[in-house]
Amino acid sequence: MNGEAAPNRPDAPASMRPAPVDPPGDGRPAAVEFRGVTKIYNEGTPREAVAIRDVSFTIPDLPDKGEISTFLGPSGCGKSTVLRMVAGLEPQFPPTSGSVHVLGRELVGPGADRGMVFQDYTSFDNRTVLGNVIFGLECRGVPKRRREEEGREWIARVGLDPRRDAAKYPHELSGGMRQRVAIARTLVLRPRIILMDEPFGALDPATRLDMQDLLVRLWREVEATVMFITHSVEEAVYLGDRVFVMATTPGRIAAEIRMPAAEAPARETQVEPWFHEQVNRLQAQLEGIEAAASRPGK
Amino acid sequence: MTEQTEKAVPAAEAPLPRGEDRTAEGHRIAPLRGELSNTAAFFWGFTCIAVVLAVWFVITAGPPGEAEKRFVSPTTLPSVAETVQAIPRVFGERKLVTNTLVTLKRVCLGFGLSCIVGVPLGILAACFPALRAFLAPLMVFGRNIPVAALIPLTFFFFGIGEFQKVMFLFVASVAFVLSDTTAAVLDVPQRYVDTALTLGASRWQIIMKVLGPLAAPSIFNSLRLLFGLAFGYVMLAELVKFGSASGGLGDLINMSQRRGEREPILLVLVIIPMVAWAIDRGLWWLQSDLFPYRYGGAGLIPRFCGWLLHGRRTEFRP
Repeated sequence: MNGEAAPNRPDAPASMRPAPVDPPGDGRPAAVEFRGVTKIYNEGTPREAVAIRDVSFTIPDLPDKGEISTFLGPSGCGKSTVLRMVAGLEPQFPPTSGSVHVLGRELVGPGADRGMVFQDYTSFDNRTVLGNVIFGLECRGVPKRRREEEGREWIARVGLDPRRDAAKYPHELSGGMRQRVAIARTLVLRPRIILMDEPFGALDPATRLDMQDLLVRLWREVEATVMFITHSVEEAVYLGDRVFVMATTPGRIAAEIRMPAAEAPARETQVEPWFHEQVNRLQAQLEGIEAAASRPGK
Repeated sequence: MTEQTEKAVPAAEAPLPRGEDRTAEGHRIAPLRGELSNTAAFFWGFTCIAVVLAVWFVITAGPPGEAEKRFVSPTTLPSVAETVQAIPRVFGERKLVTNTLVTLKRVCLGFGLSCIVGVPLGILAACFPALRAFLAPLMVFGRNIPVAALIPLTFFFFGIGEFQKVMFLFVASVAFVLSDTTAAVLDVPQRYVDTALTLGASRWQIIMKVLGPLAAPSIFNSLRLLFGLAFGYVMLAELVKFGSASGGLGDLINMSQRRGEREPILLVLVIIPMVAWAIDRGLWWLQSDLFPYRYGGAGLIPRFCGWLLHGRRTEFRP
């Protein structure tokens, strides 16, 4: 899996940075706000299943900075439900009760202001790397020449070679490269909110660290709010400014923990003592939650 | 059978466990679902043809001029030599090539019409459940009706000319094209639709830019297989007819039957599968070239089209 040889372009031209967002004002609406959100499938039938119950949280919209929130928890705790709900995707959206607000407005459905990167590779097989990256711009009706220019710049920014890789098809790429394409495809649309559902879950450990660094670098550039689901405690601690620990039956948020922001590259940070301490503490907390969930008669 | 009998013998002199007492030799000659080299594959294929020809030769062999002494009489099955002698007659007097082209034209028109109607309708049916439910009875009916029984009706509806044959093929194949297309589009995983939605695609854009193109390889594959089916149906349309000779391979068989000639029929029966097979291989090549990401072709046509459309920026590498 060492198809990750493509050099990481350190910095793209500053002219391509997204236009600065509105100047910070008081009472700025939260980036994402859940108010008592419950999702029950097949309500009132024998197959009734509660995905999440009474979930409330707020991710503030930090001006010109954004924040990475990571979601951690055992399978079936409703992490994906939360994320897909923010994306406005069915059947998770709309919630059974409660409301989801994004940037001060109640959600009505999916849109390009909330980009999403999935764990499964979702590159469109019939399109080249460039064709994939410019998909969203094409749907918006951006003129061909401009969207291809922008697409090439983003291909470079995620560490692929625009000249060599742009004409390749997804089946010619490694898993890490495919996820780079998926990230470029999302970020080229400059979403305010980026949703990532275990995007690096299927990658090998080395590639995973590279991708974490890439994400942190791009996130600083685009200044968006990131919601990131992961199974890896290390990943949650390293990336997260805020970690939401979720518990199961019913899916709910068990804890919300602030974390120091990622400063150094993943490989350096993840060997430091404070990092290990943090990981161990979180790990213990997770195990406690899982033990509580599996206790009979609860 | 013998192997089993041997196994049934008490395992006195068989110390090895069952899994290991086979020689590697046995695995090489008849590997279980294994790969076979091209040479071996051709060898077995030609052996089959040789066996069939040998059996044919033996059962129709006999001294010249004494046809009654043959094991199978020539009125049932002519000998190999007699059939070979008929080849020039079939190509010349019976216009085999022209008749094959006539038949092909009918299949292409009838099946092409099915594709023009069935593919877009099938894509829409997969996207809109109400339309799918509306078309469901037609699909069930069209797929399960005995096609041969449709022929008399098509005479009433479409006359006895060329039009009837084309329309018969259309009626016989459109339900299959429709339902296979629907299935292919329904098979596209939902995650692609979700991705497109989060990238801001509209419903129409999802159909045109995501579902259609992603289902295209499967649709093409179904159409290739259904073309073989349509090629079989056209014989039916040509064999059952009113009026005078109308050309086509089926007509050639009909005419030979009426004149009591067996050899042309045998030859046509050999030609039909060969033509069908050649077309199938041609379509398969086209398919793998058009969709290299699915079927591993060279992608010459897509690259060439890209080169035509976008100039030399995307280099054309044959």
